[in-house]
Amino acid sequence: MTEQERKSIHIPEICRVEGHSAVHVDIAGGKVTNVTLDVFEGTRFFERIVVGHHCEEIPHITSRVCAICSTGHVLAATFALEKILEFTPTDLTSLLRELMHLGMIIESHATHIYALALPDYLKVGDLLEFATKHTAEFEVWTQLRNLGASIQTIIGGRPFHPVNLHVGGLTKYPSSEELEPLRHEVSKAKDLALQTCDMLLGFRPPVARTTSPVFLALKPYDTKYGFFGDTIQSTDGWEDSIENYRQYLGEVAVPYSHAKRSAARSKPLMVGAMARLMLFGQRLGRNARAVYTASALYEGDSNSLWNNLAQAIEIVEAIEQAETIIDSLLTKLPGSHSHTPALMPGCIEEFGGGLHPGQTGLKDPALKGGVSVKRDDKIRPSIRAGQAAGAVECPRGTLYHFYVLDDQGHIVAADMITPSAQNTFRIELDIREIVSQSQAAEPATLQANLEMLVRAYDPCNTCATHMVSIAYK
Amino acid sequence: MDHSRQSLPCIAIHSLTGCAGELLVILENLDKILPFVQVVSFPFAQSKNEMRPVDIALVEGSVSQPHDLEKLRAIRSSARWLVAVGNCAVWGCVQKSACRIWSPEQMVAAIYGEGSPIEALPSQPLDSHVRVDVKLSGCPINATQLLSVMASLLKDHLPYITHKCVCLECKLKENCCVLIEKNLPCLGPITAAGCGALCPSFGAACYGCWGPCEAPQMEAMATILSEKGYQTKEILGRLAAFGIPDELLSQASSAWAKV
Repeated sequence: MTEQERKSIHIPEICRVEGHSAVHVDIAGGKVTNVTLDVFEGTRFFERIVVGHHCEEIPHITSRVCAICSTGHVLAATFALEKILEFTPTDLTSLLRELMHLGMIIESHATHIYALALPDYLKVGDLLEFATKHTAEFEVWTQLRNLGASIQTIIGGRPFHPVNLHVGGLTKYPSSEELEPLRHEVSKAKDLALQTCDMLLGFRPPVARTTSPVFLALKPYDTKYGFFGDTIQSTDGWEDSIENYRQYLGEVAVPYSHAKRSAARSKPLMVGAMARLMLFGQRLGRNARAVYTASALYEGDSNSLWNNLAQAIEIVEAIEQAETIIDSLLTKLPGSHSHTPALMPGCIEEFGGGLHPGQTGLKDPALKGGVSVKRDDKIRPSIRAGQAAGAVECPRGTLYHFYVLDDQGHIVAADMITPSAQNTFRIELDIREIVSQSQAAEPATLQANLEMLVRAYDPCNTCATHMVSIAYK
Repeated sequence: MDHSRQSLPCIAIHSLTGCAGELLVILENLDKILPFVQVVSFPFAQSKNEMRPVDIALVEGSVSQPHDLEKLRAIRSSARWLVAVGNCAVWGCVQKSACRIWSPEQMVAAIYGEGSPIEALPSQPLDSHVRVDVKLSGCPINATQLLSVMASLLKDHLPYITHKCVCLECKLKENCCVLIEKNLPCLGPITAAGCGALCPSFGAACYGCWGPCEAPQMEAMATILSEKGYQTKEILGRLAAFGIPDELLSQASSAWAKV
């Protein structure tokens, strides 16, 4: 083999993604011999960090895995822990959690589409150019992002790292004075979301992978399109309980990379907006479905670059679902004031975020309670030992949390599997397929296309980092 | 590019190991800063990035691997003002708390398996390794505080950031005290203000995500929680979660030594 035949492509740092990652491709004799998506974000060991902490502290800690999907990390942890505690939240709590999650979907997708992915299509190099030369797009991003942030701020207290979502419910319900303007803001954004879809429908992907991955997504609890569930469904014709995630997401060694990769029953998989549409697109509401059926996705085109469009379709769906939920909340919530929650009527508490009398070492149970009034003992979770998995569909795909609790409510062991870690295998395969078919391409163009491809997966390396190759024992 | 912009001060926005939350806050407020600066590096949000001397470097995240440390040293040597943004950069946040109990080697082995090539350092805030000019804590940071830090530094003036405790903000909001009235394990008395007493305003206990306030009364905090009936293990777990320095934690422990 001559030196001319041996070459490599190296992208030392992929910009405009969350966290830090690099791509390395080796080519020898016209064949791709090695592909690595190297995540070099520092490790943070969340599976260790949470050990020893009380279960009530966990959502606040796991939220810090990743800012942009913090609501997802809070909810996945909460669902797993409430399953162990055999706690069923009220309908009102479930609706608020769902709305909160939709807020995250809108904010995260809008930021990914506009601030991270779009500069490739618009060919802008820096933010100033984006903000000053593409003011219309910049404005749509600002408005959609602000909507997602408003939803999460009204329910959770801030745009990310929410303070109002706890194991056992919320400590404060939003007031109708807050929800009514929000309802208006949501409706106003629908056109912007549809506009985003139109824009992305018009972009032709410059490259395409040659095989289709196995898509995985949670099967939503009810019949509508959704982000919460207990069963994983695959386009490969199987479904399984999330409790078995270790079995079906087992790792495989891949010939062209040094690391082992997470796979769907040994096949490379893709999770995220596109996977959800491929599996449950039939369940979309009216407007989102209209865009979906007009797209190449509906015709079965599984080019990963369409994930950007899939996210835009989900923004439309999230906005429509948010309208329905807010309408329903407005009939369920009593009018209330936004301050001094414990004393004002209408600020109903399920749970104060503190310890439970007689369960975790309170010397005097009578001390608990104070003025926090009208706690219903029946709906308060009681501490018990056990283990369970919880999962949500985050903007980037299925996120699994798993915990083992002792009888005092302290974490004994934990595991988290993020969407980005699940997608790594398929991203590498995509790169391999694209490089194999476009070796004649100009190196700069090829590199730009590869970056665009990786970005379309919306990888979140702050999430993926501590789970890149988990050794199951 | 507009010629007149080339004389504007240069800023760079970098991240080490963290959740990227500060980057989001900066990105969402960048339109307010952009008219006054040139952004020479912001890999999270733009493709054209240069490593060259800047007037202000904003750094998010903790130092948790050798790569972070190399990067931080390079940033420090090229920045006139180095601003640590967020709890990770100022205190070390949640990743630092686990490092008190386990060594990085033990954690690598437990999570990635024995013999993993992953390199890790015990997570530390920036000032454990380099001199830091301004510390802006928060998890995430407060956008108003960020903008006032930028406004001050652009006038070559060190900003004033309050380090009083959260209770002051809470009292101004006329919240009922969740620690005294509801017996929740609220860390407001020892936590720096800046969030607007968010958790207590939502009827929940502050969990210290802003890091410690100035002169925190650790022993008194531990004593009152103990009197409320919380177990020692519980209290230490809550106090330690968001990167509080070891010497402050040992002050809390002295509360039990006296009993």
